[in-house]
Amino acid sequence: MNDKAMEYLKNDENKAKILRTELILTPLLVALPVVVSFLFLHHWFENGYSVGNPAFNGELMLAFIILVSNIAFDIPFVKTMIRYRKK
Amino acid sequence: MKKIVGQSREIKKKIDSLEFDVHWYRRVFHTFGATFLVYYILPSDIEWLNLAKFWVPLSIVIFTIILEYLRISRKIDSKHFFGLRMYEKNRAGSYVFFAVGILLLLLLRFPQQIAIPCILCACIADPIMGEVRHRFEKKYVYITGFIVCLFFFMITWYKAAIWLMLLISIVGAAGAVIGEAKKFWWLDDDFMIQMLPAIFLLIIWLSAQYIGIALPEPIIYPW
Repeated sequence: MNDKAMEYLKNDENKAKILRTELILTPLLVALPVVVSFLFLHHWFENGYSVGNPAFNGELMLAFIILVSNIAFDIPFVKTMIRYRKK
Repeated sequence: MKKIVGQSREIKKKIDSLEFDVHWYRRVFHTFGATFLVYYILPSDIEWLNLAKFWVPLSIVIFTIILEYLRISRKIDSKHFFGLRMYEKNRAGSYVFFAVGILLLLLLRFPQQIAIPCILCACIADPIMGEVRHRFEKKYVYITGFIVCLFFFMITWYKAAIWLMLLISIVGAAGAVIGEAKKFWWLDDDFMIQMLPAIFLLIIWLSAQYIGIALPEPIIYPW
């Protein structure tokens, strides 16, 4: 696979459609991982931390992994989308 | 002449920003996939929820396969699909491989100690490797990928004996990096990064069970 083949399909005609696709999916892509990570945190807090059960610590770590990784990629994504919309 | 040059610069800028945008879109789609781990936290003693746990992921994958079939057979134009790469024009998009990989890990009842780190490798290590490839030299891609994948396997196997955790982490991380590095036109790395370590780990898992080595408890408990 050469570098040329890695390029994205570009089409000037469908900018509006592209923007629409992003706008529809953005709330889901950004919010759902946060909700899921808080679900894991809540489960860990209720069944692990508050009763002193370390078996649930894995869920705490997973919650952080999901939350941090998603926020790290969501920020530049939302920034580029806002910048693109302004154009 | 100046006007034409100005216009072409403007168009180039827009195309560049679009490419940048697409690249972040693909990254976010990857990290979003980690939400499928919610599958393991859902209660397993409610009948309708068990049906939903089976049918919802399966329906999503069937829907994406039908969509891709319509796109490849030109019944739907490729321009309606956002973020496709050039080499995906005449074959199934990588998102289908990504979804099929997750579906197989969840529905074929791979132990969650195997499925969780493999899903995390595809959802988080893959975009991190992509970002490193985008900014640095190629040699750093696999080193970074190996370290990140190693971390995911160690976290999932932290309840196991140290030697077993290390063995699993090294084998799993190596499998994930090989799966990512080996590119085929017909089989996407989004599938390989999940399935190759999963198969390696399943062999170790079954061997350990056969020999009688204690395997760790799962890390996610149903609600």
